[in-house]
Amino acid sequence: MKAKLRALSPCLLMALAACGSDPAPEPTEQIIVREPGAQPSAPDASQTPAADEAGSALAEAGKQAFNSCIACHTIKKGDGNRIGPNLNGIIGQAAGAVSDFRYSAAMTSSGITWSKEELDSFLANPAAKIPGTTMMAGAVSDADQRAAIIAYIEDSSAN
Amino acid sequence: MGKWTRRAFIGAGVAAGGALVVGIAVRPGNPVDQLSPLVAKGEGEKLINAWVKIDAENIVTAIVPHVEMGQGIFTSLAQMLADELDADWSKVRILEAPADAKYSSSHIGREFLAPNLEVPEILEPTVSGSFLSLATAMTLQITGGSFSIRGTGQRAMRTAGAAAREMLVAAAAEKWKVPAAELRTENSMVIHDKSSKSEPFANFAEAAAEQNLPAKPTLKSPKDYKLMGKTIARTDIPAKSDGSAIFGIDADLPDMKYAAVKAAPVVGATVESMDASVAKNMPGVLQILNMGDFVAVVADGYWQAEQALATIETRYSKTEGDTLDQDALFARYATMLDEAGDSEGDVETENGDVTNAFANAATKIEAEYKVPFLAHATMEPMNCTAWVRDGKCDVWSGTQSPLMARKTAAEVSGIDYDNVTYHNAFLGGGFGRRSEMDVIIMATRIAKATQYPVKMIWSREEDTTQDHYRPSATSRFQGGLDENGKAVSWSNIHTHLFDPQEAPTVPYYKIANHKIRKIDVPTHLRFGPWRSVDHSQHGYFIESFVDEMAHAAGKDGYAFRRELLAGSPRHLKVLDKVAEMSGWDQPLPAGHGRGIAFVPSFGTIVAEVAEVDMTGAKLKVKTVYVAADPGFAVNPDGFAAQMESSIAFGLTAALYGEISIKNGAVQQSNFHDYPILRINEMPDVKVEIINGDHKKLGGAGEPGLPPLAPAVTNAIFAATGKRVRELPLSKAQFT
Repeated sequence: MKAKLRALSPCLLMALAACGSDPAPEPTEQIIVREPGAQPSAPDASQTPAADEAGSALAEAGKQAFNSCIACHTIKKGDGNRIGPNLNGIIGQAAGAVSDFRYSAAMTSSGITWSKEELDSFLANPAAKIPGTTMMAGAVSDADQRAAIIAYIEDSSAN
Repeated sequence: MGKWTRRAFIGAGVAAGGALVVGIAVRPGNPVDQLSPLVAKGEGEKLINAWVKIDAENIVTAIVPHVEMGQGIFTSLAQMLADELDADWSKVRILEAPADAKYSSSHIGREFLAPNLEVPEILEPTVSGSFLSLATAMTLQITGGSFSIRGTGQRAMRTAGAAAREMLVAAAAEKWKVPAAELRTENSMVIHDKSSKSEPFANFAEAAAEQNLPAKPTLKSPKDYKLMGKTIARTDIPAKSDGSAIFGIDADLPDMKYAAVKAAPVVGATVESMDASVAKNMPGVLQILNMGDFVAVVADGYWQAEQALATIETRYSKTEGDTLDQDALFARYATMLDEAGDSEGDVETENGDVTNAFANAATKIEAEYKVPFLAHATMEPMNCTAWVRDGKCDVWSGTQSPLMARKTAAEVSGIDYDNVTYHNAFLGGGFGRRSEMDVIIMATRIAKATQYPVKMIWSREEDTTQDHYRPSATSRFQGGLDENGKAVSWSNIHTHLFDPQEAPTVPYYKIANHKIRKIDVPTHLRFGPWRSVDHSQHGYFIESFVDEMAHAAGKDGYAFRRELLAGSPRHLKVLDKVAEMSGWDQPLPAGHGRGIAFVPSFGTIVAEVAEVDMTGAKLKVKTVYVAADPGFAVNPDGFAAQMESSIAFGLTAALYGEISIKNGAVQQSNFHDYPILRINEMPDVKVEIINGDHKKLGGAGEPGLPPLAPAVTNAIFAATGKRVRELPLSKAQFT
C-alpha cells in the first residue's frame, strides 16, 4: 500500500516546488508598444503630422502619387509646359486656360471649370470625360490616388 | 460528452445538459449540496451524489474527477459507476469535474460522498490511513501514478454508483409499497417482477434524494459485472477523430492576445538585459516583457509574437550550472559512487549480510548501467491562457492537476481563491509533464502584467529545452551466485531516487542477501515525473543485471527468473504467460534474439518478451509480447492500448531518447535531434491480460513501460552477445 501512495508524490512535490518562494515576480521591464485595439502607428510615427494636418498628410502622399504625372506635367509655378500644361493653380481655372499650351479643341471647348470634383472625374478617365483630349495617358483608376494627386496640386499651388 | 469548461470557450458550444427538467433534490446539509450548482446546469437538475446525476430524460451523468490525456479514463471510470448503478450505457454521459476542492481525490468516500459512509470492506485498505490525511491537506485532484482506476474508480466511482442505485431502489419501494428486496435494477430501470412493474430511474430521482444515504453500499462481485471487464468504445474518440475535441491550446476568448516566451537556457539564470529595439517596431507587437527568468512578447498573433521574440537579444546572468557538460555530469556520478564505496549512501532496503554473501559467492558479477535525461515531447505544445482583471482570474489549460493549477493561479495573481476559475480541457499528451505548474505560473504572470487575456504557447524548442526531465542516472550492481548458479547476493547503488520509492527494490525476487543504496547528486536541472517515473530507469537496470546473472549462471533468462519468483504464483503466472505467448523455447534464425523482462509497478505485474532482428543495417524490434496482471482490467481494450502506447513511448526512449547538457544548457531542441519512434519502427505488440485479483487493482498507464528497454537489450544480447549497458541504443555499435 505504501508504494501506491508514494506513486503520487512526485507530482505533488514538483507542483509544490513550482509554486515556491516567490511565485509571481513582476516584470523587471515592461515595454508597452501599444494597447490592444489601437491602430498600429506608422514606422516614423514621431515625424508624422498630426490629425489636424490631415490634408497636408494627404498632399504628402500625393507627392508620391504625382510621380506618375511628372513625365508630362510640371507643378511648380513658373516651370514651363511639357507634353502637358503646367498645373500650378489649375484648380478653379477654366479648362484650356494655361497660356502657351496648345490644347485640343475638345479641351478648350469643354466649358469645364476645374473644380476638384471635375478634376477627379477627368483623371479617372480623361478620354471619356473629354472625348478628343490629347491627354492620351495618365488615367488614375484608384480614387485615393486621385484624391492624393488633387490635394498635392492644390497644396503645391498654394505654396 | 459534457465538458464543464466549455461554456467559457467562446464558440465551443454550451455544456451538455440542455432541457433538463426534473432532477434529484439534494437534501440540505448534505455536502453534495454545495457542489450541485457547479455541475447541475439545467433547470431543476440536481445531483444524486457527487459522481452521478440523473435527469428527467433518464440520462445518467458520471462526473469524473480526473483528466483525459489520451488514456481513456473517462470511459473506464464511467463504466465502473454505471455498472454498479445498473445504468443503460447508451444513456450514460460523462462530465469532467470542475477544479474544486470538493472533488479532490482526498475527499473520496466518507468525507465527501457522505460523512457517515462506511467503505466496503474490500476497499477499506485504500481509503484509510496516512494517504487520506495527506491528500486532504494537499487537496489533490491529480491524474497520475496510474492511479485513477485503482484509486478513484475502485473506491469512489463504484461506491457512488452503488449508493445511487440503493437510493433509487429505496424510493421505488416506498412508492410501490413493496419490500426493497423484491426490486431489481437493469438498464436504468427499477423493476418489480412480482407485479410486473418497471419505471425508469428518473421517475424516482427526486424521491431517491430524500432517502438516507446508504451507510454501506453493496458492490457487485465479478460474476455480476455487466460493464466492467468489457471492452467498450471510448467516448472521447469521436470528438478527437472529427476535430471537435477541445484541448488546452484551443482556448479562445474575445480580444485574446498571444504570447511567445523564451526562458534562460540555463536553469537558474536570469535575464540581465534585453535589446528589443527591433522587436518593438515589428507588426502586431503589443508588449515586450522581461519577466526576470524569461522574456515574453505579446502580440496580436502568435506568429508575430514568435517572430518578434526571435529578434530580441538577451544577456543572461552567470550561474554555477554554466560550466556543466554531459560527460562531466556522468563523471560526477561516478566520483560520488566511488566515494560511497561499499558502505556509504542511503540504505533503501537491506536483508541478510550482502558483504559476506558476495565475498563467499562462487561466481561474482558486477556491472554498471547509465541512462540519460529524457524529455516528454508531448504532441500538444505546452500552453496556458490566462486572464487577470478586476479582482478575477480565469485560467485555461490542460493539466494533470487542475486543483493545483487553480491554487497556483490564485497565488500568482494575488487574487482570492474563490475568484479564480480554472478551466481544464483535454490534454494532448501528459506523461507527467502536465503535472508541472510552470506554464500556469508563466501565463498568469504575463496576464497579470497585461490585464487582458493572453494565450501563451511554447515553441517546440522551449518544450525540449525547458522540460522537467526524467533524471539521468548511473546504477552499479554486484551479484553473487552459489556453485549451483543460485542467486545469493544482490547489491546495488544508484544515483537519485525520485519516485516511487520501491522502484529500485526487488522484493519479489527471492535473494537471501540484498542491499540497495542511493546517493543524491545535485544538478541544476529540473526533474519531473516521466511515464513510470523511476521504474523507467530501474526497470532497465534491474532486469539487465538479472539477465547478466542468469548468463553467468549458465541459465536461460526465463528459467532463472522462474527460480527467483518461486513461491509467488501470481508473479509466475505472468512470467509463464509471456514465455508461452512468445514461443520462448522455439529456435530463431541467426542474428535474431529474444529477451525477457519482468517488472511489477503501480500495482500491475508485467512481463515482456522482445524479439529483435539484428541482421539489417539497423536493429529492428519486430515483436513485443506483453503479459500483464492488473488484478482486473475494467476496459480490456483500453488496458491493452496502454500497454501498446507504453511500448511506443518506451521504445522511443530506448532507441533515441537523450537530453544532453553542454555549458549547462540542453543541447537538443526539436524532433530532428530528439526523435520519436516512426510508424515503420513500431513493433507488432501482442497483449494478454490476466485478471489475477479483482479486489486489488493495478494501474495501466505506466506499468507497460519499465520492462520494454531491458527486454530489447536482453534480446540484443541473445542475438549478438553484446551487452548494452547504456541507453539510448542509438549510441551503441553492434557490428
